[in-house]
Amino acid sequence: MTTRLFGEPIARREDPRLVAGDGRFLDDLGAGALAAAFVRSPHAHARIVDVDVGGALDVDGLVAVYTYEDLDGRVAEPLPLLIPHPSLHAPRTAHPLANGVVRHVGEPVAMVVASDRYVAEDACDRVLVTYEPLPPVVGIDAALRAEHAVHDDVRDNVAAHMVQEVGDTRAAIAAAPHRLELELQIERSASMPLEGKGVYARWDAADRSLRVYSSTQTSTSVRMALAAKLGVPVDRVEVVAPDVGGGFGVKIVHPWPEEVLVPWAAIRLGREVKWVEDRREHFVSSAHERGQQHKVRVGFDDDGRLLGLEVEFLHDNGAYTPYGIIVPIITSTQLLGPYKPGAYRVEFRSLYTNTVIVTPYRGAGRPQGVFAMERTMDAIAERLGRDRAEVREVNFIRPDEMPYDHGLIFQDGRPLIYDSGDYPASLAKLKKLVGWEEFAAEREQARAEGRRVGIGLACYVEGTGVGPYEGAHVRVETNGKVVVATGLTTQGQGHETVFAQVAASELGVPVEDVAVVTGDTRRFKYAVGTFASRAAVMSGNAVALAARKVRAKALRIAGEALEVDPADLEVVDGVVRVRGVPDAEIPLATVAVLANPLRYAFDEQAKQATQFAVGGGAEVPPVADDDEPGLEATDYYSPVRSTFANGVHAAVVETDPDTAEVKILRYCVVHDCGRLINPRIVEGQIHGGVAQGVGGALYERIVYDEHGQLLNASFMDFLMPYASEVPTVETDHLETPSPLNPLGIKGAGEAGVIPGAAVFAAAISDAEGLWIDRMPISPSELWELRRQKTPEGDA
Amino acid sequence: MSEDLHQTRLLVNGVQHTVRVPARRLLADCLRHDLGLTGTHVGCEHGVCGACTVLVDGLPMRSCLLFAVSVDGAEITTTEGCRSADGGLGPVQRAFMECHGLQCGFCTPGFVTTVTAFIRDHPDPTEAEAREAIGGNLCRCTGYQNIVASVLRAAELVGEEGSGEPQGGAPVGREGSGA
Amino acid sequence: MKVSGSATLHAPVEKVYAALNDPAVLVRTIPGCERLERAGEDAYKMTLVAGVASVRGTYAGDVRIADQRPPSAFVLRASGAGAPGTVSADVQVQLAPGEDGTTVLSYDADAVVGGMIGGVGQRMLAGVATRTADQFFAAVDAVLTGAAPAVAAAPAAGDQPAVFTAPPRPPGPPGGQLAAGVALGAAAALLGVLVGGWVARRAAARRTS
Repeated sequence: MTTRLFGEPIARREDPRLVAGDGRFLDDLGAGALAAAFVRSPHAHARIVDVDVGGALDVDGLVAVYTYEDLDGRVAEPLPLLIPHPSLHAPRTAHPLANGVVRHVGEPVAMVVASDRYVAEDACDRVLVTYEPLPPVVGIDAALRAEHAVHDDVRDNVAAHMVQEVGDTRAAIAAAPHRLELELQIERSASMPLEGKGVYARWDAADRSLRVYSSTQTSTSVRMALAAKLGVPVDRVEVVAPDVGGGFGVKIVHPWPEEVLVPWAAIRLGREVKWVEDRREHFVSSAHERGQQHKVRVGFDDDGRLLGLEVEFLHDNGAYTPYGIIVPIITSTQLLGPYKPGAYRVEFRSLYTNTVIVTPYRGAGRPQGVFAMERTMDAIAERLGRDRAEVREVNFIRPDEMPYDHGLIFQDGRPLIYDSGDYPASLAKLKKLVGWEEFAAEREQARAEGRRVGIGLACYVEGTGVGPYEGAHVRVETNGKVVVATGLTTQGQGHETVFAQVAASELGVPVEDVAVVTGDTRRFKYAVGTFASRAAVMSGNAVALAARKVRAKALRIAGEALEVDPADLEVVDGVVRVRGVPDAEIPLATVAVLANPLRYAFDEQAKQATQFAVGGGAEVPPVADDDEPGLEATDYYSPVRSTFANGVHAAVVETDPDTAEVKILRYCVVHDCGRLINPRIVEGQIHGGVAQGVGGALYERIVYDEHGQLLNASFMDFLMPYASEVPTVETDHLETPSPLNPLGIKGAGEAGVIPGAAVFAAAISDAEGLWIDRMPISPSELWELRRQKTPEGDA
Repeated sequence: MSEDLHQTRLLVNGVQHTVRVPARRLLADCLRHDLGLTGTHVGCEHGVCGACTVLVDGLPMRSCLLFAVSVDGAEITTTEGCRSADGGLGPVQRAFMECHGLQCGFCTPGFVTTVTAFIRDHPDPTEAEAREAIGGNLCRCTGYQNIVASVLRAAELVGEEGSGEPQGGAPVGREGSGA
Repeated sequence: MKVSGSATLHAPVEKVYAALNDPAVLVRTIPGCERLERAGEDAYKMTLVAGVASVRGTYAGDVRIADQRPPSAFVLRASGAGAPGTVSADVQVQLAPGEDGTTVLSYDADAVVGGMIGGVGQRMLAGVATRTADQFFAAVDAVLTGAAPAVAAAPAAGDQPAVFTAPPRPPGPPGGQLAAGVALGAAAALLGVLVGGWVARRAAARRTS
């Protein structure tokens, strides 16, 4: 009897090679390739006066030096604006190599190609670039003041301005019994995967074809972008995402300058070329996120019910906008969480600064929105003297109100309609898990002992599984093995395992017989990518649909072979058999053989499918009009809109009365992402997200000085949490299946990080009796807040 | 200008190698690119993340902070050397697999070597000791919880099977799937 | 690609003009030249070994001297093809009297570089070109001032087609043994320059280091 694999926490299929050191990450490939390195701007804003490469010519092993003037055709044009939007009225993207102006520290100015990376960097050091520094714009406040402009033709530094409103918010707030205004801020942080970006390109001159390996979250889109940029026909370009050491959003941006330039150089030089970024490069030339300033005005009644919610925020998008305004749009819409806001108005301006670009980092604008909303809930509770959980419950969208239409447009361009979720049940579970009701007594007890402990909670809703689609191809081979391919990519989410579980479940084969390939355009060409917690929903369903087609075909063919009605057949452990009739069976492998009428047998099994062996009706063709050879199928899943997961987190912290250090005593998560394909993998995703939430709340910030210099461009000063900083996460979960897809699943990839800032701000506020409106918070900042409060007593 | 090359002998995973490398060649790059042992990974090149950790004469060290020439004559163990004698997964590696102690796998080699040395010296750790032992290695994916569990499970497996004494780096047969 | 520059040579204009058209001089000053063969009035076939960094190989080329206005100007039209790529160039050379009996030479080259060496980047190519031109003119200058050994005059044009080789040099890179050169003029050196005669220059640097 086949174990039902869907929902089983089986061990991961990709682990054997990864734990043994047999992974194939980008820099493990391309042993003979030339190495590229980049001369990058040391200035935040400057005109390039001259580039003198004379000094580099002496470097033994130098092959080429390129600047903007060498770029030709579409490579000389700005990089694409990936997601245009009507509100993005002043989009700007960079050139692959700076065209006369640099707009952030780290912007590439020249590319060097040499025999190895050491030599390439030697040559880079000797390239003399003369700059005329220009005044840099750093920080939201400076961008808004607009004394200087990042782009000459965008004098106010505003790239986008967007307003969404449902109802008459200002009137609702004015008429409300109570009103509050809050200012909140989250500082910039970054995805910071352990493996940086890398590109390895091979041009086959005989074939006129290009193969590019890239540590990317979207090989199919990189392929299209490169074909367009390099003028190579699409069917002559293949892009492969090898093993990728984490992405967390930063690797969805494409094409990076280096992703264009490395293949371009490979074609020009007729040599393989590889570039792998080092950590400092990643800090100054990839992407950051999270930096926003919010103003919230809310009107509410005596129970804390929201009557009107007005949010105005400023978003720092860095020097260019290749990813459009997805992050602030997500903030705008996901801020609402599980609540009914009454009337809602959200307005944002996205501003240019002379800093690294801002594109999604796990959570992608949700952490900021949730921070704003949850701090508002806490403030309402404090104003009314009510329990913070009760105030939230009063505002919940009820399960019987699903589907709930907010009247807004979500990041997928479709209406923001929550399809399912039981927020009261999620909260109830969380309260039980953390001991919410009992905590007040614990807090008092601790206070009596001179200790400061506090509890915080935060709710979120996450739109997952955004379209437009994903596809999968499933094939049963003549040896009975099943091969599955899907176009999106993997950066540690265990796709080789979960998609094998789906296929094995649908087909009735042992999971060991299923092999999954992701992110390889040679194997699957139509795809979008891995981001926005969509992979399991999108490719999981596509794999299921394709596998169902294969199963149906297998049963039809087996039915013909066994002369029974396909409805009487089942597939168990890779064997098709008649239910309840022992010995009436045919292995799936044989069905695969029969599915391909052969003239020539290539092995023993194949003989069964040759024309004289099969025989059969002389009146019908071997392959019917509506049929194809082979036991395989392709199918796609395309959602009508996103499906909404949700969760509630709680944290118990203790703050040190003397040093203001924050210690996390407990961290509890209740999450609902519908049905789980592999609970262990989902839990792992949550653990990882929580760690990033801890980092973002207490440790991680990207610090620029007023000259636009990144002060902490290394792990020594950008503090990611080690094991000592991350608490043990206690999890419980709910499953409200998604009605929008056949498998009933929702995404879980970002869940762990979304409420981090909110929950820790709340817990620290609770412990200290201080209002925290800004994250991350360091011990010295907390200490300073204490100091500001104590002279006058209570704030 | 070309660089002087220095003859350097390294005993890596039980196999003697002689390489001729410039003085500034990092041990990490030497292992990965001169010896083709790409299991060791470079995450930061400034000694903080620990993905490059290898054992040098039995001690965990950051190979991104060592010049290959500076460990001339040393005995080095990489993650490939933590396999079992028959080329299969060693106990530490199996523990990580059993406990879902990895997601993207990039930091894992540094943990495997670190944990191998730790368990050799502390065969019966508490959970707190296990967490402390891995406190110098960064992981961005797992949140460490399952890695701590992996350390404890590794101690169990080593205890059952005998020491996780590093072996030669015979290639592992490719189980599972994937490109 | 446009490359231009100038050099000061320590001899009067007429002597400089003559030297630049004297194959015996050019043979020991053009980097990388292997074989030169007169192919007609003011036209030569040349074989050159040169490269830009790691991209090196052998070139076969044609050189034609045009618009001669002795002793002050001429134009060189050159083209060459080899495994690493192709070059074609038009170079305007002007000589003017300088101070104290020197000559100020200025050159303006308009070149199209194709193939693999065309792929290494304009600034790198231009950098190599300028450098090698400087090296060439310094070598010519050494001959003019007597710093280098004296050279026998070349046979006059109109004699039987001549093949020139350079005097033997100490071992250098492949192709370091130069064949005798026919009068090419500075522009031919620039052809070598444009395909990266600095290979020979680096070989010279190695010999002296």
